[in-house]
Amino acid sequence: MKLYLALILLLPLAGGLINALIGRMLPRKVGETIACGVIWGAFSCALLAYTNFTAPVTAEYGSWLSTFDFKAPIALYLDQFSLILTLMITFVCGLIHLYSVGYMGEEASHARYFALLNLFVFAMLVLVLAANLPLLYLGWEGVGFCSYALIGFWYTEEKNATAGRKAFIVTRIGDTAFGIAIIWMFLLFGTQSIAELNFLAPLAPPGVITVLGILLLIGAAGKSAQLPLSVWLPDAMAGPTPVSAQIHAATMVTAGVYLLARMFPLIGSSPTTLAAIAVTGGATAFYAATCACAQRDLKRILAYSTISQIGYMILGVGAGALTAAGFHLLTHAFFKALLFLGAGCVITALHHQQDIFRMGGLRGKLPAVYWPFLAGVLCLAGFPLSGGFFSKDAILGAVFERGGSLYTSLFLLGLLTALLTAFYTFRMLFIVFHGEADNANHQENGERTLPLVMTITLVPLAILGLGGGVLNLPAYLGEGLLARFFGSIPGFGAMHSSHMEELILQGIAAAVSLLGLGLAWQRYMGVQRSGVLAREQAGSKLFIFLQNGWYLDELYRLLFIRPFVRLARFLWKGVDETAIDGALEGLARLMGRLALLPSAWSTGKVATSLFGLAGGVAAILAYCAWALS
Amino acid sequence: MEQIIFYILAIVTLIATVLAISEKHPVHAILYLVTSLFAMAVIFYLFMAPLVAAFEVILYAGAIMVLFLFVIMMLDLGHPEKGLSPHWKEWLPSLLLAGISIASLTIVTVSRHASSIVSPVSLPIREVAKRLFQEHGLAVELISLQLLFALVGALYLGKQSSPSPPLRPPSASERRAGGEEK
Amino acid sequence: MIVPLEHILVLAGLLFFLGMAGLLTWRANMIMMLVCIEVMLNAVMLVAVGGSARWGNADGQLFAIFIMALTSSEVSLALAMVVYLHRRKRTVDTDLFSELKG
Repeated sequence: MKLYLALILLLPLAGGLINALIGRMLPRKVGETIACGVIWGAFSCALLAYTNFTAPVTAEYGSWLSTFDFKAPIALYLDQFSLILTLMITFVCGLIHLYSVGYMGEEASHARYFALLNLFVFAMLVLVLAANLPLLYLGWEGVGFCSYALIGFWYTEEKNATAGRKAFIVTRIGDTAFGIAIIWMFLLFGTQSIAELNFLAPLAPPGVITVLGILLLIGAAGKSAQLPLSVWLPDAMAGPTPVSAQIHAATMVTAGVYLLARMFPLIGSSPTTLAAIAVTGGATAFYAATCACAQRDLKRILAYSTISQIGYMILGVGAGALTAAGFHLLTHAFFKALLFLGAGCVITALHHQQDIFRMGGLRGKLPAVYWPFLAGVLCLAGFPLSGGFFSKDAILGAVFERGGSLYTSLFLLGLLTALLTAFYTFRMLFIVFHGEADNANHQENGERTLPLVMTITLVPLAILGLGGGVLNLPAYLGEGLLARFFGSIPGFGAMHSSHMEELILQGIAAAVSLLGLGLAWQRYMGVQRSGVLAREQAGSKLFIFLQNGWYLDELYRLLFIRPFVRLARFLWKGVDETAIDGALEGLARLMGRLALLPSAWSTGKVATSLFGLAGGVAAILAYCAWALS
Repeated sequence: MEQIIFYILAIVTLIATVLAISEKHPVHAILYLVTSLFAMAVIFYLFMAPLVAAFEVILYAGAIMVLFLFVIMMLDLGHPEKGLSPHWKEWLPSLLLAGISIASLTIVTVSRHASSIVSPVSLPIREVAKRLFQEHGLAVELISLQLLFALVGALYLGKQSSPSPPLRPPSASERRAGGEEK
Repeated sequence: MIVPLEHILVLAGLLFFLGMAGLLTWRANMIMMLVCIEVMLNAVMLVAVGGSARWGNADGQLFAIFIMALTSSEVSLALAMVVYLHRRKRTVDTDLFSELKG
């Protein structure tokens, strides 16, 4: 077990290092094979670990940080939750790596790409498997760095580099809060081990727990793009599409959910924190869903849908339904990876065209993409009996079970969000794949044929996404696999509700989803289609408001960036250049002027020296006369 | 009687000196200075120093002043209209310094209690010579060496070794740059 | 001794500082500067001779003679230098010789 765990981590690291150090010298095929091979190797190790898994284990490999009381060994902790996540990460990332081989087939700097991609997986696995918070933070920052480098992968364009920086800086806000929380927890409990922290949690005063929970929530919000730190994710679409898939589906954005779920025994005892988490999740889900309804960039729609779905997971954590949140995390990973990879196929086929209004009618031209994409859409929209349906419903059910006015209203908000989700998902599908083709666009370019490896990777994801519900069936259909598997972890206790209630809730959810489908169908498939599309392209006020993400970016610019820039300019121009430089230059000028006074006497002329001599004689004699008389 | 002669000679010396240093024409100035030196020589004689008085006339008024005249004529400097003489304003700072110095010196000198007039002691030349060569032999040798050096230096400076620069008055840039050119 | 020593000193001082004033003022003509230096040296000689007469000591006279010898060598060198400098710049204006400027 210890060996498997080490290999799970070391293989991606080794792959990343090989590609980073000597990747440029290796033939392209070798580099790609190594990059994909190590991930699949890690997946095999994870599978072996799964078959050998009996009880949670902690494996310590060596000492990392050790100063006085502060101890952070290189220790890995494997329990059911991290095991399932490791399986999911290695599997989905393996598929994304394969897909990248096709997608980045014409990219020159493939070594850099695959090195960063492998390191990304390594960092995420460190994050998931870490047994103590400093190690988790290492993975956390590693994920942040790799996402920064990959989002700005095509850094020669200013826009992409800016997007990378934005992702880095915004997540850094959350990371700071998380770092503060880590240090505080060490001061409070004197330990950094996650298991010990969760065990010692009841000893801390409730107020402190609340503040710690809020700090962790801010950290999670930064990584998982929750309100109000959600602004970086839509811009992160500047990176290559497989990178977007990896960030959204498997690695980066789920880190926040994982952190909250992992620390749930610590923070779960504070109702205030839970309410804050739930409100953040619910509000984010609703906000992102509204924004997604108005986007016209295919990848931005998916980005907002990710924010929305992560919001659901956070809402689930806030409701205490960790199993449901983890379940949704899994299914979301499958169908979101599927959607992104499908979108990547579409974009590649259309020569990097991302505007959905320039697409249309692709169903006949790209059937190999259409059917898996449809599966992903069904899951995202929560279409009955798909994986997304069960997982989303589990969360909503848990929120409803929680009761109270706050959670009830959050449940209603969640239902509304589900409606919006179904609407924008099918809107995307209908606009992109149905209707008339935008002939002007297509005829001049023609579709590119897709590499087989790109379309084939969609199939297993589609199957897993659609059939993901089997993993955790509701109680009335027999006990869920995941619920049983997770049951023994502290905090993952099963929710109990009557079968009748659950059936009714699922009925409501199915109805909502179908209602969204109907609305989208009526709007985009009927006779009105061309008129609606023309109106949406023109853009009404509300439409533009939503398209710009409620002007959240502008709000940031107004509240933070502009005052900061102004302050920086003041410090630069006013303080640095005027005051400090001015004072120094003034002093130098004054000294120069003063130096000119004596230097005026060194003319090199005889007369000047003589005057000095005579002056001295006169002074001495005058002193003598004054002293004697 | 001798006191009166001394004061008359002192006044002559002062007036001749003032005229010498304020005269615009160099040749005239030299002549005034010769006058001053003659008066000074007489003062020396009054002070029982006939040897010094004789040297004053022979060396100073005779040799050195003639040398001055030679150089003035050789370099053709006897033209006060060329504007070489100082403006009267230029006298003010130097006269101020000189006035301060003289006033201070007078105060210092006079504030000492006046010394009584002692009868002059005659110093025969023989005694002076004995003293010179017996006690100050080294100084005599040094002076003779110094004269030799002066001779060599004057010969060296006077030798026209370097090609003479073009005959033109110094331009403004040269006035500013000083001696950059060699 | 026919007059008090103070009178001789005052006379010598007057001569010396007159020479000095001339030296400071006549910067435009090196010959005149040398003339003024002669005046100053003369004043020094007067002090030496006066002292010699006051105390009946031959050393003062001897120093006057030394000064004279010194003056003659100084003048010969200085005038040679004037000729040399005049040959270089066609002028005896000392303000035009500022090679000593740092």
